[in-house]
Amino acid sequence: MSATGSAASTAVATRVAGLRLRVEQASYAYEATDRSAPKFTLGPVSFEAQQHELVAILGPNASGKSTLLTLLAGLTKPFSGRIEVDGTEVSQLDLRLRAQRIALVQQESELLFPLRVWEYVLQGRYPYGRRLRFESEEDCLLAGNALAQVGADSLRDRWMDQLSGGEKQRVILARALAQQPSLLLLDEPTQHLDIGGKVELLRRLRRLADNNRYTVLVVTHELNLAAEFSDRIVLLHKGRCLRVGTPAEVYDRELLEEVFEAPIEVEMRPSGRPRVVLRGSR
Amino acid sequence: MRPMTPRRVAWICAALGALLFVVVVISLRMGAYPISVAQIVMTLVNRFIGRSNEIPPDFWNVVYEIRLPRIALGILVGASLSTAGAGFQALLRNPLADPYVLGVSSGAALGAIISLAVAPQTPGTIQLAAFVGAAATIAAVYFLGRRGGQIDSATLLLAGIVAVSFLSAVIMFLMTMLPGRDLRGMAFWLMGDLATRPAISSQWLYLLLIIGAGSIYTTSSDLNLILTGEQEARHLGVNVNRVKLVVYVAASLLTGLAVSVSGAIGYVGLLVPHLMRMFFGSDYRVLIPASALGGAILIVLADMLARTVVAPTELPVGAMTALVGAPVFIYLMRRRVR
Amino acid sequence: MGIAAVALLSAAVPTSAATRPVARAGSQAAAPAGRIITDDLGRRVAMPAQVNRIVTLAPSLTEIVYALGLEDKLAGDTNECDAPIAAKSKPHVGDMQNPNLESIVALHPDIVLATTSINRVDTADSLTRLGIPVYTTDGEFRTVLGMLDSIGRMADLIGAKAQGTDLVAGLRARLDALHARLEDRPMAHVLFVVWPDPLLSVGQNVFIADALRWAGAESVVLSKQNWPRLSMEEVVRLQPEYIVIESDHSQSGDAELTDLRSRSGWRDLDAVITGRVIEVSEEAIRPSPGLVDEIEKLARRVHPEAFSETTEKRDSKYEARAEIDAAAKSAGESVQCAR
Repeated sequence: MSATGSAASTAVATRVAGLRLRVEQASYAYEATDRSAPKFTLGPVSFEAQQHELVAILGPNASGKSTLLTLLAGLTKPFSGRIEVDGTEVSQLDLRLRAQRIALVQQESELLFPLRVWEYVLQGRYPYGRRLRFESEEDCLLAGNALAQVGADSLRDRWMDQLSGGEKQRVILARALAQQPSLLLLDEPTQHLDIGGKVELLRRLRRLADNNRYTVLVVTHELNLAAEFSDRIVLLHKGRCLRVGTPAEVYDRELLEEVFEAPIEVEMRPSGRPRVVLRGSR
Repeated sequence: MRPMTPRRVAWICAALGALLFVVVVISLRMGAYPISVAQIVMTLVNRFIGRSNEIPPDFWNVVYEIRLPRIALGILVGASLSTAGAGFQALLRNPLADPYVLGVSSGAALGAIISLAVAPQTPGTIQLAAFVGAAATIAAVYFLGRRGGQIDSATLLLAGIVAVSFLSAVIMFLMTMLPGRDLRGMAFWLMGDLATRPAISSQWLYLLLIIGAGSIYTTSSDLNLILTGEQEARHLGVNVNRVKLVVYVAASLLTGLAVSVSGAIGYVGLLVPHLMRMFFGSDYRVLIPASALGGAILIVLADMLARTVVAPTELPVGAMTALVGAPVFIYLMRRRVR
Repeated sequence: MGIAAVALLSAAVPTSAATRPVARAGSQAAAPAGRIITDDLGRRVAMPAQVNRIVTLAPSLTEIVYALGLEDKLAGDTNECDAPIAAKSKPHVGDMQNPNLESIVALHPDIVLATTSINRVDTADSLTRLGIPVYTTDGEFRTVLGMLDSIGRMADLIGAKAQGTDLVAGLRARLDALHARLEDRPMAHVLFVVWPDPLLSVGQNVFIADALRWAGAESVVLSKQNWPRLSMEEVVRLQPEYIVIESDHSQSGDAELTDLRSRSGWRDLDAVITGRVIEVSEEAIRPSPGLVDEIEKLARRVHPEAFSETTEKRDSKYEARAEIDAAAKSAGESVQCAR
């Protein structure tokens, strides 16, 4: 990439072009000291993501997916390289500004005190306004919108601890959407769901990306879901970024067998998306 | 969808404030010395219009030197402990947290007992020593409770438990060494006592209360988020480490303040936040001021009972709050389980 | 709203005496100003010229007031003041440690008497702040004579100098007479038990140890602590001749002896086996005139041979005691000769 002019014009350029996320040679190392070798290194990783895109960060366990996610969320600064959202380096962003751009959807944690669904979703508006803030009408509208986007409108007045697993996940997603982020990050969101739940979630994410201009990044190890729903795949293995591209480009049998250490077959379906099956003993 | 508004907070505070006022009036009326409401009003009015000389000395004594200071101290202590309790429950992510769980009262008790051993007859030193003990414990537990340079709730709780047991052991050792006479003051201090006037004027103490409670209040939006998960709060833009530090320091200092001037009055810091949650919900933007006012109301009531039920004998306030508090707490617990 | 109420209250709370109304000298209207004296703690007390109403905050002080013949001036005492019995019917101001300030104010005392051994300094402070004079005596006497001095001083203070001198002189005379009788006797070795379990005794610096000496008995505990805690082994090693134990006389006869005989460790002590357990009343640990009575009684139990004839009149309440004393004496006599 050639550096064309000042950072400002670059920022304008990327926004116009719809480029949401740019990761350039980002790397990280855990516990790197002068004396000992670091326990784990990630990178360098490079890829880009546009609006309306759903990107899957794919890899087996301990491949560095969560580390990459942490870097993308701006929670830690990469050792080298840059990560930019809407043209701005994420780790430089002020906490609240970052929360306005990036929403990270985690697995649920336990609530200490009872809370209603709308209260929970309304908390997503925190990054806007002062620290001690009282929600405005606009906030309520946006929170309502977010609930509608995940199809959880009817859950509005329910208590959080009375929701089912799937319902809770939708509400958590709604809170993230209430942040009005450019970038939506999800860390293994399908872990505790059954196959129906998994599909429903990915379909919803797909719709959100298509209709609402979010850029969605999903960290996962589910090969077929990633293939079916994502526009782009970043394949990680033991901290190295092996390949970036469309599912068809990335799903190479030998490559996947090496990465996932399992006997598999890759079938190409008429839709142009690959499918992975286990090569059983014949 | 009815979000919390400043107006709603104000209404709730006004209602609680009115209740506090009523309780104060009733408490002013009750006591061993027979004085009617009319006489009390006359005493109050005469002072305000500058006719202090016309107040009979007994009335002056009873209203301004005995009852009002005691009520004022009760409000201070009740508000401090309840606010601190609400803060600690959020900081430690534990509904069973009370202001003493991190060792503040144990440190204050140690300071008190040392001062009794060293200078038993000097008034005011016990309070000062108690505060120093509390402050030292706050600092020690902070350093013990850190992990990676930042406050970690689980580690902090553990550090507090260690502090409490260690300090208790030291206190018990000292108690066996001290002559019996000096221990008498200690027994009172441990049970909680509102009869002793604070060593420094109430105005300063109230200022500290407002600063401390105010600091915690500024983090109430943050606390609401932290209670749904620390990481989640970070992702929403909350400066979690800073909030935890502010709450820790403010709540600990409020506790140290209350305990230094009145000993360790129990149950208030634990119960009042829960009671207020039952009535007004868990939103800290209303919970903090509600707890402060609720705590004040509870202590003034408990103290009034303590000094009138078996007059002229005075029961310790702490005994009263325990007698009332324990059954209420059991009831609350059963309700949750159900 | 709450903050406003709070601010209002704090404004209402006076912060200095300067805001108090002018007419304040004590609670007696137009009382002539008295002198300023220094109490046993070195605090300056503004004594009124005339002391007509006294409030006492400790049983020993109440007893002294009665002994001085000033019971008519006693306006109030504590719940625990029970000697003499008449003190129980005086108006009470609450507990010794936590008296009700309003009750004290309501009684309009000219002076409140307190002692360091029982009352808290906070109480004295609060009363002073209310404009009520408080005289605190130092209750940490080391000697009985020191106690007598203190009684004399207090009597002088509350305008009963003559009565005080008489009282002290009378008590002194009794002590001297006792001393004369016991001069040539060897001291009996006793263990004074304040509390059996945990075992608390008295140290050398407490007036009780001195009182024991006046009764011809030496405490076997040589501790500098005031109320040392002893282990049973230590007592077995010391093997005191007598055990002197404080108890109330609600039960008859040798209740304490029976009790000790049932306790392990105690029942193997020589003194318990031979029945040389002496009960004393609460007066023995109270720094008051009643202490001299107890000293005399104890002397008779420990050195009966020095009291071959009845020389003093006793109150009827002590008659019953004499019977029991005699019974215990004969039980222990045979062993005593063996010593």
